[in-house]
Amino acid sequence: ASLAAAVDPSNNLASERSSIESTYELTKYLEYQLKEIKDVYLTYLGPPFNEKDFSPPRPNSTALTLPSAATRLELWHGLENQARLAQNQRAYSILLAAVRELARSTLCPSLKTSLLHFCTGLDGLLGSISALMNSLGYSSPLQAAARPTMNDFARKVEGFWILRELQSWLWRSAKDFNRLKKRLRG
Amino acid sequence: MMANLVTSLCCVVLAAVVVAYAQRRSQLVARNQYERRGSDVTMQCGSLESDVSVSWKVNGTDIEAQHQLNGPKLILTQVDLEHNGLYSCFQNPHGERRDTIILHVGIPPQEPKVTCRSNTYPKGFYCNWHLVSPTYIPTTFEVDVQHNQRSLEVQKDPVHKNRCHVQFPEVFSIIPYKVNVTAVNALGKAYVTLSFEESSIVKPDPPERVTATPIRLKPRKLEVSWHSPATWPDIDAFPLKYFLRYRPLIQERWQHVELSDSTSHTITDAYAGKEYIIQLAAKDTEIGTWSDWSVAVHATPWIEDPLPITSTTEVDFPNETKTSPIPSSKAPQKAEPPVGRAARVVTFFSPLLLGMMLLFI
Repeated sequence: ASLAAAVDPSNNLASERSSIESTYELTKYLEYQLKEIKDVYLTYLGPPFNEKDFSPPRPNSTALTLPSAATRLELWHGLENQARLAQNQRAYSILLAAVRELARSTLCPSLKTSLLHFCTGLDGLLGSISALMNSLGYSSPLQAAARPTMNDFARKVEGFWILRELQSWLWRSAKDFNRLKKRLRG
Repeated sequence: MMANLVTSLCCVVLAAVVVAYAQRRSQLVARNQYERRGSDVTMQCGSLESDVSVSWKVNGTDIEAQHQLNGPKLILTQVDLEHNGLYSCFQNPHGERRDTIILHVGIPPQEPKVTCRSNTYPKGFYCNWHLVSPTYIPTTFEVDVQHNQRSLEVQKDPVHKNRCHVQFPEVFSIIPYKVNVTAVNALGKAYVTLSFEESSIVKPDPPERVTATPIRLKPRKLEVSWHSPATWPDIDAFPLKYFLRYRPLIQERWQHVELSDSTSHTITDAYAGKEYIIQLAAKDTEIGTWSDWSVAVHATPWIEDPLPITSTTEVDFPNETKTSPIPSSKAPQKAEPPVGRAARVVTFFSPLLLGMMLLFI
């Protein structure tokens, strides 16, 4: 793929830029969808999760290998295209597995359906990112995260944080893809 | 040896004089006393014994407010702001001044009101605070900001007294920031804690240098152009989207356009010849809230210069306007031909003229 890029760089970059633009649009759409699902999910979890301003401590255990979107500004600025995409890819592959598990263990049927539907969108985003990495000639090693069992309340706290982290990643990705678009403009 | 003795003696005398003077001075240097409004206040004259008789003055005059004397103590009841002043006590019967007290009546602070905002995202944010009701005595504020169980460095604003600045330690964080503001004065303290996430306090300053110009030969267009606010540090990596609103001065209803990644826009549906008012607002493309509206700009679309007066009363309209030769209701107000105006004046006065003519017949 990298050889093809060298032969006809202008053409490839144009298609990459268009791909980035649609990936950006997808993150905005998923962000909007998530906002709605999150409210329903928090109501499903019940108190205290559905209370305004409730914020349990983020599980610190190794069980929660959720990557945080938060980063130092200088580090974020300096990310090379490959690293930027790789971080997004890793985050969404872990989050997708986590949301799927969330959907599986949800007892309310309509919420389960909504979550599974959302997962297809998230899967599409992940696919989009992987395809972009391939066409830019970047390798994309995927890791599967092991999810140990935990008690009922811990699982609720984890569910709370999974959706929160996902929200912050969609916010961050929008900025990431905007940056990529500008960097590839040349 | 004689010289040494004299020098020593001089030093001792000098020391004694200095000590005596210092003692005298300390009694004359005023000290501050802060008391709660509505309370009963006791003022002690120096360190005099309880059986000593003193007299008091406030600001050099006799005390008119209700008060009691108890040896070297002055007792004022239910003090209010009018009791403020410089109180001096003089030992009887010779009247040596023994003490000077400045009384400040005030109230302990209530919970301050705090607001935080980031108009320089992603660099940092600032917080403003104020007290809802005055304390009447000097009150200071202590600010503490925590994020992820870490204390952040807080910098006072060099200009605004009740403002401080904090740098974001990281971006894209969902860990809340906790800002604690404590108001402290001589009578007590009160604090408030504000908790918020990075994404909720971002509000840019309004767009700047807004210009709206007519376009030659286009009577229904206006070219609007602006700049991102100067305080927004990184427009490239953190772009803004814009909201443009416009209306003719004579109308109440606004028209709106939302724009991304652009700092200019052409209005194509302006009413010909009408003066427009145009404003813009900005927002981060992902988070936060819209800025306040920018300064309003006024502009009128391009209008054809009025043609010179001809012998006919009809006015030919140029082709570009694409209107019929018959004047419509949307004809430009400002380009009114002088012929028309004269004709109107005549029609107004014609009944009068007719009347006058009839009189003279």
